[in-house]
Amino acid sequence: MRYEIRVEGHMSETLTKAFPELGHVKMAGQTVLFGPVVDDAHLYGLLARFQSLGLRVLEMRQLPEGRAD
Amino acid sequence: MDPLGDSILRTRIALPTRPAAYLRRQRLDRHLDKALRTRLTLINGAAGAGKTLLAADWAAGLPQPVAWLTAEDEDRQPGVFWAYVLEALRACGAPVSGAVGVPMEAARVDRKLLAALAADLDARQQPVTLVVDEFDRVTNPEVAEQLEFVLHHAGQGMRLVLVTRTEPLLPLHRYRAAGELTELRGAELAFTPEEAVSLLELHGLRLPVDAARGLVDRTRGWAAGLCLCALAARESAAPELYLKEFEADRSAVADFLLAEVLKRQPEATQDLLLRVSVLQRFSPDLANALTGRTDAEALLVELHRANAFVEDLGHAWYRLHPLFGEILRAHLRVRLPGLEPELHRRAALWLRRSGSLPETLAHGAASGDWGFTAGALVDDLAIGQLFTGLRSGDLDQLFAAMDPDATGPATELVRAARDLSRCDVERGLSHLRRAEERLAADPHAGAAAQLSCALLETLAARLTGSPEQAEEAAEAAARLRREVPEHLLDRHPELHALLMTHLGSTRLWAGRFEDARAALTTVAGTHGEASTVLPREESLGHLALIDYLNGWIGRAERKALAGASEAERFRPPEPGVSGAGTGIGLLVLAAVAVDRDELSRAQTLLDETAPLPSATHDPVIAAGRALTKARLLLVQGHARAAVEAADPGIRVSVASPWAAGQEALVVSAAHMAEGRPRMAADVLQDVSGDQPACAVEAARMLLAAGRPEEAVGLLDSIDTGGRIGPAVTVRAVLVRAQAAQAAGDDATAHRLVAQALLSARREQLRRPFLDARPWIRPLLSTAPLQELAADWLTPAPSRPGEPAPVDGQPSPLVVELSGRERDVLERLARMMSTEEIAADLYVSVNTVKTHLKSVYRKLAVNRRNEAVRRARELGLV
Repeated sequence: MRYEIRVEGHMSETLTKAFPELGHVKMAGQTVLFGPVVDDAHLYGLLARFQSLGLRVLEMRQLPEGRAD
Repeated sequence: MDPLGDSILRTRIALPTRPAAYLRRQRLDRHLDKALRTRLTLINGAAGAGKTLLAADWAAGLPQPVAWLTAEDEDRQPGVFWAYVLEALRACGAPVSGAVGVPMEAARVDRKLLAALAADLDARQQPVTLVVDEFDRVTNPEVAEQLEFVLHHAGQGMRLVLVTRTEPLLPLHRYRAAGELTELRGAELAFTPEEAVSLLELHGLRLPVDAARGLVDRTRGWAAGLCLCALAARESAAPELYLKEFEADRSAVADFLLAEVLKRQPEATQDLLLRVSVLQRFSPDLANALTGRTDAEALLVELHRANAFVEDLGHAWYRLHPLFGEILRAHLRVRLPGLEPELHRRAALWLRRSGSLPETLAHGAASGDWGFTAGALVDDLAIGQLFTGLRSGDLDQLFAAMDPDATGPATELVRAARDLSRCDVERGLSHLRRAEERLAADPHAGAAAQLSCALLETLAARLTGSPEQAEEAAEAAARLRREVPEHLLDRHPELHALLMTHLGSTRLWAGRFEDARAALTTVAGTHGEASTVLPREESLGHLALIDYLNGWIGRAERKALAGASEAERFRPPEPGVSGAGTGIGLLVLAAVAVDRDELSRAQTLLDETAPLPSATHDPVIAAGRALTKARLLLVQGHARAAVEAADPGIRVSVASPWAAGQEALVVSAAHMAEGRPRMAADVLQDVSGDQPACAVEAARMLLAAGRPEEAVGLLDSIDTGGRIGPAVTVRAVLVRAQAAQAAGDDATAHRLVAQALLSARREQLRRPFLDARPWIRPLLSTAPLQELAADWLTPAPSRPGEPAPVDGQPSPLVVELSGRERDVLERLARMMSTEEIAADLYVSVNTVKTHLKSVYRKLAVNRRNEAVRRARELGLV
């Protein structure tokens, strides 16, 4: 599974390091993180990590398989 | 007495202190006051929304006591969670009665305890308010369900306030519909521009409402964001300009503000904050241990005063606000890369000195210093906790991550313990030998490490059936106990209890029943502490097996059930789960069921023990299981399968006389069943009078093989010694009766069968008569014997409403029903379902089923309506 997660605001480089498994790009007042998600447990773990870092998740969606980054 | 051996307990149940810059908001307090009238209150909001301080400030202003609990990750385990709840109630001056008890195992809590707690709360004049902060950390749905159970049954005696980031798994709709829910959610917690002005003022920053409005929009009224804004702006040259710039900025709020505030702190403060981010909580002294300086106290007081990052837990303990802790950890990894393990190591060293073992181990493991971590466990004499008690699961998991390259006596001991706990003798022994070599080479080796060795030696001896080795290890342990500090022995009763259980089991294997009993009784008779549940249950199980082997099946059953109920107080009867013990009690019950010809019950009990590693690796248990299974197969007519099943297939140093004897009996009976009486007798020719149960069966085979004199001679040689019970004596009497009948002495045969029936019916011992069916059936149809056999052995004569005549004694049925069984029976008669009975008696459904089964057995019925009819006939209900 590949996911794309949009959070509110531009994340600092320091904070993006809390998601080493995800790539990221900043755009229009949002940070888009993307990358492989192993399973549901990983997904919920990511959500909890966003929450515990005070990040507001705006959107989260599964990407079609095989899409290049 | 602290149930978790946890010195930092009090910081979890203390009301958090409000900082000087806390802004009390009337509208929220007024809403929260409704919590006193509804059973459930929810304070729901994002990290940093100000939930904790709101609840704490409100609770501090109440006239009545409030029990406060700050949840942590370990509270996902029901036993741990409820132990803390009970402590919180005690600490706020609203303790529950001692009769409620305490959880004995981390992973489980007894439903009876929860029911008793609810009943205790329900009976109070004034309701107790329980606040659980950070309830989102309690990720286990089981705990939510239990909380709902207690809340439901506590009636108006309890007010529950959950402070949480995520919606809890309680049936909120039901409480909402009943008007029993007070909800404060994120939107309500958000600051209004007017409130923001007041808050910033407390931080020394004056701002017009319009300017504040922009800030509130940018932060969405988020409390933590506003506080950070104030701190950052205050430090800047032009605060208003700074805030304007922040409004226009597009960074993630918490991330940006934290970095801003952090970089404005003095170097020493920044360093302190980054370093303590690896800790759940810290005192100034512990923080100093991490920074290598001595300035923590002043810095922490100042940070708390400024409401920046740090919360005061009371008793000079602090913690980082969870949100900032997370972000600071991300900064730590970037700014001081690679320092985390070292920080954990320093924390572990400090905690070791201060005496908090669980925290020491957690940080030791996180530091990757396994020699130190295993050493801390061993030197504290806590190695037995890997086998039994509230922390065994956690500890096992913690050490599962141990680096395979780590060396040292303590790491080897821990490896040996983990392998042996899984019955992996080969690997366990090789680690144990390595540990012993290292200890022998070390002149400063501590007595605690050597005593730990002795414990593992007895377990290894038990698993390999090596009685001499077990005795040697036990003697060494007795010597070493004198060298170990008294307080360590007192703190860890499980060590001695485990050791004596292993010793007893090994002696039992060797057939030294009385010596085994002496060791096991010291454990079974000790008082109920969580740490010794497993050895107590096991000791009772072994004592039950001794009774069974001696022919006392009623006694054996009572002990096995006592062991089971001991264990059930602490966990529901679920076999196959970790901590389910070795299953020896179940085996004894299965064996008793075979003797009573309750074959499906025997099969069920046997099946329950199948998944346990002990069932195939622990000699006493593997042999007991193999023999019970074989005997069951025999009576089901599968002679060959029985012979195969009778071999436990274990490798042992010393053969067990009773296991060998019983196995020979099965082989012999199989020969007999397949029409080879001579071979049946030959198999048993080495059996002597020392093994009464075997000797009696051997006599029966000899008789069947046409050698009556030898049979009676063998019976005469049996050493009764007063310790042989009905299961053996009844069989012996029947052999004599059969011999008498064969010799044409019908009168003697009658008299002996009557005697056998009288002793057997008290124990519901049916199997010997069924084995004797071919010759005994005509006798049982004669008048006096028919009466003695009626009802329990043969179908009742058609005289409804009249109990069978008895031999001047009270009916054993009446004597035997326990109080609980009677409770269940009465409810059964009122047409209540099993579930209803369980709820009514505050016990688990499984417990009711267990009682029902034994009621059925005692009444010799198979169904509930039969049980009710029979109970009415006997005047029991």
